[in-house]
Amino acid sequence: MAITLDTPHAPSPRLPAVRWGIAGTGLTALLLAPMVLDGYYLHALIIAMIFLLPAHGLNLILGYTGMLSLAQGVFFGIGAYASALLSTHFGTPFVLNLFAAAAIAALIALPLGIPALRLRSTSFVMCTLGFVVIAQMVAKNWVELTRGDMGLSGVARPKLGFGDSVIAITQIPQYFYLILAVALLATLAFVLLIKSPAGRCMVAIRDNETLAESLGIPTWSYKLIVFMLSAAFAGLGGSLYAHYETVVSPLVFQMYYSNTILIIVLGGGLGRVPGAIIGSFLFVAVTEALRVTPELRMILYGFVLLVLVFVFPQGLAPLFERITQWLSRIGGEQEKSQ
Amino acid sequence: MTEAILSVRGLRKNYGGVPALQGVDFDVARGEVCGLIGPNGSGKSTLFDCCTGLQKSDAGSVLLKGVDITQWPMNRIAREGRLLRSFQKTVVFPTMNSEENLVLAGQMASFPGIASTFSIGAKSRARVKALRDRARELIEVSGLSRVAHLPAGNMSGGQQKLLQFASMLMPEPELVLLDEPLAGINPILIEKVIQCIVAANRDHGITFLVIEHNTDVLMNLSHRVIVLHQGQKLADDTPQAIVRNPQVVEAYLGG
Repeated sequence: MAITLDTPHAPSPRLPAVRWGIAGTGLTALLLAPMVLDGYYLHALIIAMIFLLPAHGLNLILGYTGMLSLAQGVFFGIGAYASALLSTHFGTPFVLNLFAAAAIAALIALPLGIPALRLRSTSFVMCTLGFVVIAQMVAKNWVELTRGDMGLSGVARPKLGFGDSVIAITQIPQYFYLILAVALLATLAFVLLIKSPAGRCMVAIRDNETLAESLGIPTWSYKLIVFMLSAAFAGLGGSLYAHYETVVSPLVFQMYYSNTILIIVLGGGLGRVPGAIIGSFLFVAVTEALRVTPELRMILYGFVLLVLVFVFPQGLAPLFERITQWLSRIGGEQEKSQ
Repeated sequence: MTEAILSVRGLRKNYGGVPALQGVDFDVARGEVCGLIGPNGSGKSTLFDCCTGLQKSDAGSVLLKGVDITQWPMNRIAREGRLLRSFQKTVVFPTMNSEENLVLAGQMASFPGIASTFSIGAKSRARVKALRDRARELIEVSGLSRVAHLPAGNMSGGQQKLLQFASMLMPEPELVLLDEPLAGINPILIEKVIQCIVAANRDHGITFLVIEHNTDVLMNLSHRVIVLHQGQKLADDTPQAIVRNPQVVEAYLGG
């Protein structure tokens, strides 16, 4: 039998095993990374894993629910500031700050989402763009709270554990494992979310909102919840960022952050779990790799994006899926021929 | 007449000064198949839109089982009112396969609230499993088994129409409004859709209000027919009387 990659037949029964195999290999590689890679590359991987969190949030709202929000960078920044303020003013522990950052980002998303989600398509995008501008202004000008352009410094490094057995996270490999653990848990939460019946409602809203509404789905409520959840994911990322960099400044509200998150999700592949994961590692890797030619870096970066858009208009995840399908088939064929 | 499941009273709707509905009154009795005919632009689809909450009427009221639902949002009418509708241009969720389309259609009726849909606990999984079993059954009955694994957007127009009809049955509605269920499908499928409507009406007691331009079929299918003309009710009678009504013949059926 001829094997075509686009075969419309039901997927091979070995597909889940191959997927788990690839995920396991990737995870093992990450777990071993601190033993092989030096600090600079670990730093790049840490940044990739931090950006994975707001990317999951954007994938949820854009990839699964069909609404383009440029405000992911805003909630990332809110998470970073929330953690930094809690840490510097109250000396609260890292784990508490992490959850507080997610909760605060989600709570701020509530009053922003109520008017914004009345808007559709491009108007909604413009509205979220407005949030970015407002957030920049607030971070720069509310000096009593944010210390303006000076930013907040001296965010405590994370400490984990209770009582006497406290581990202080100070070294890059320690940060690496901590952030890997958070990114893994967030990815798990993301998968459970989209596999839940609510995840099916999100896809329905993306595919056809009026039809979803006509089948009894309160689409507006779901969109508001998704907007808040995507903000919570971004807030988690921001919190990790604050505790890793130990300084937070209004620069976190630059459009650059929202853009990067968007590029990760679009380049990786919308509405697919591996999309944001592939995207975050690849784009941080590309950015870092291009540091060898500082003067051409941004031009080459733009060039890479153009090539991606033309060669992989659906992002890299479909390519990844074809590879997994191909692997599951060749495995199956070999078994049959034996 | 038995209890009215749907009562429309003095319904008016203007589109930028152009009247689409000019005070329409009628009842649909529980358990009947009621036809709704009229020339293009007579206000049939607008009537559906106003009854299901997709459009807000300018005046008048819609009562569902005696409850005024005029101001209810569309999703509440579907969920609590158990009133579903199909659309003139067939719509399915294009990226989902047939089973997912059907599970989704039945989902809000099976889960007690939004919060419960975020759960992946045993109760939630059991509910989804029950929906899946019913979906597979409907796929079988609708003859969609062969294409069930395809994203619904890749199925033919007729197959999408069958899927849309099956979706209407998933949440076990009491009243279904069908907007041109037979448009653009071949004679064999027409027969299939009619059988489905008759069976759903007979076996599950679902009430139907059907817009259809294929008047021969509609007259056979319906217990009663309402005729709309220029946003007003022109006639409301048995199919036999409707085809003989000179006003209806002049306005719509032709000689």
